[in-house]
Amino acid sequence: MPLEHGRLFEDMHSHLPQKADPNPPQPTTLRGRRPEFTDDPMLDRLYAITLALVAELSVTRARVDTLERLLDRKGLVGSGEIESFTPDESEAAKRGEIQQQYLDRIFRTLTE
Amino acid sequence: MHHPLPWHHIAHHDMLVETTHDERARLDTIAHLNVFAAQRLAPTVKIAFERKGVTPIDRHEVRQAMERDPAFRAWSLVRRNTMEMRQKTGRDIVGRQRESLRDKADRLNAADGSKQSRLHLDPSLDVPRYVSGVDQHLMQGGYTAEWLDRDVSNAANYDAGMFATVGGSAGPHNDAAGRALCEWLRREFPAFVPSRVVDLGCGLGHNTLPLRQLFPAAEIIAIDVAAPMLRYGHARARALGVNDIDFRQEDATRTQLAAHSADLVFSTMVLHETSHEALPRLLQESHRLLRGGGLCIHLEQPPYRGLNPFEQFMRDWDGRYNNEPFWSALHESDLRQMMTKAGFSEELVFETRCVAPTWQASKPSEEDFGRAPAWYAVGAWQAV
Repeated sequence: MPLEHGRLFEDMHSHLPQKADPNPPQPTTLRGRRPEFTDDPMLDRLYAITLALVAELSVTRARVDTLERLLDRKGLVGSGEIESFTPDESEAAKRGEIQQQYLDRIFRTLTE
Repeated sequence: MHHPLPWHHIAHHDMLVETTHDERARLDTIAHLNVFAAQRLAPTVKIAFERKGVTPIDRHEVRQAMERDPAFRAWSLVRRNTMEMRQKTGRDIVGRQRESLRDKADRLNAADGSKQSRLHLDPSLDVPRYVSGVDQHLMQGGYTAEWLDRDVSNAANYDAGMFATVGGSAGPHNDAAGRALCEWLRREFPAFVPSRVVDLGCGLGHNTLPLRQLFPAAEIIAIDVAAPMLRYGHARARALGVNDIDFRQEDATRTQLAAHSADLVFSTMVLHETSHEALPRLLQESHRLLRGGGLCIHLEQPPYRGLNPFEQFMRDWDGRYNNEPFWSALHESDLRQMMTKAGFSEELVFETRCVAPTWQASKPSEEDFGRAPAWYAVGAWQAV
């Protein structure tokens, strides 16, 4: 089936600023049909979530790698200190915020 | 295995987005996913196709054989999701700094001492729906949408994200198509020195700037319908030290430039984002603008003609799944014939191939079904 041109050309004004908010955030909804590649829409969503997880794990590994190299380069922190670390209240709150942003990326396909 | 160039190799300039460690890592992951899909997954699609033992007469028959194949579906899911993730990453990076990007563009775009602004926007321009109505390559809002006054969000996103999409294969300035055109001109027509150059559908001017280096004395006019791209493009050019290119908001199918006023009229990757109705008019406009002895050349992905049905099927992916509604028909068009119909003499119309010279720390990537730094081009000389 060809791309649904009718939907690609749907009303562009849905993307333009609304009067109530002169500076709205950029929309996350895409004009144009999102294709389904499997026979089960849930499987497409699962693929999307899994791929986002793949990407995020890769990002995390890069960050850990950066940290460990810097710590090692400066002779600052041994692995024992990392294993026994516990965050304080404000550090834990910041981690919670980061977790929410993380989940937003992982479940992108369910919200866009 | 070819590795993509890490994102931090992108050319830095004052308009480039600011990024965190993890945002750069995310862009690098996307680049790696693209390379993995091209080099490790795409071959599995080919093997799956060969195992079917069918001999299709065209790409439609390949699609019938392959549409439900697990290898094709998995490759497609990775490719589609990588594009969607790339857009979200760019949107998040730009979203938190869109006001400061707008302010930087304002400062760079303002007249500054002896440097007059060469940004010419036309708020009354009737922007064609085939541009404004499409979220090209899954970019929310496309080239023209604005969510702030004097917004540059999507242009900034495009500049930062393109480097990841192509894994840096278009070079630190994302300008491989422009450099490929310059290389071709330098090699084939070293004596050709235009006094006026027009870039039709310049976007943010990635591929316009190399022409300035090749033709330092020429007047260069970059035309696009999208104000955010022009605002960002003019500011980016200034940030890179290029102060003498005119960025004009005009419709490339009916510019306000005088007939027979240009010696070189070109475009890069514009034809496949031009509607079937507008394309002949864009070619006619190229013809109208050229002086006798002038050159018109349009760089594009190669036409399907001459490719085997499987290759055509793979290259058609963007047309079906990457919001490129004019892609398939463009690649089936006879552009030589269209150039002749646009007014060029048949014997002066040609097709060629433009390849970007390589640069340090990168090699031309393996063929990625349309994302390698080499292009098909259709062109014509204007009869004297």
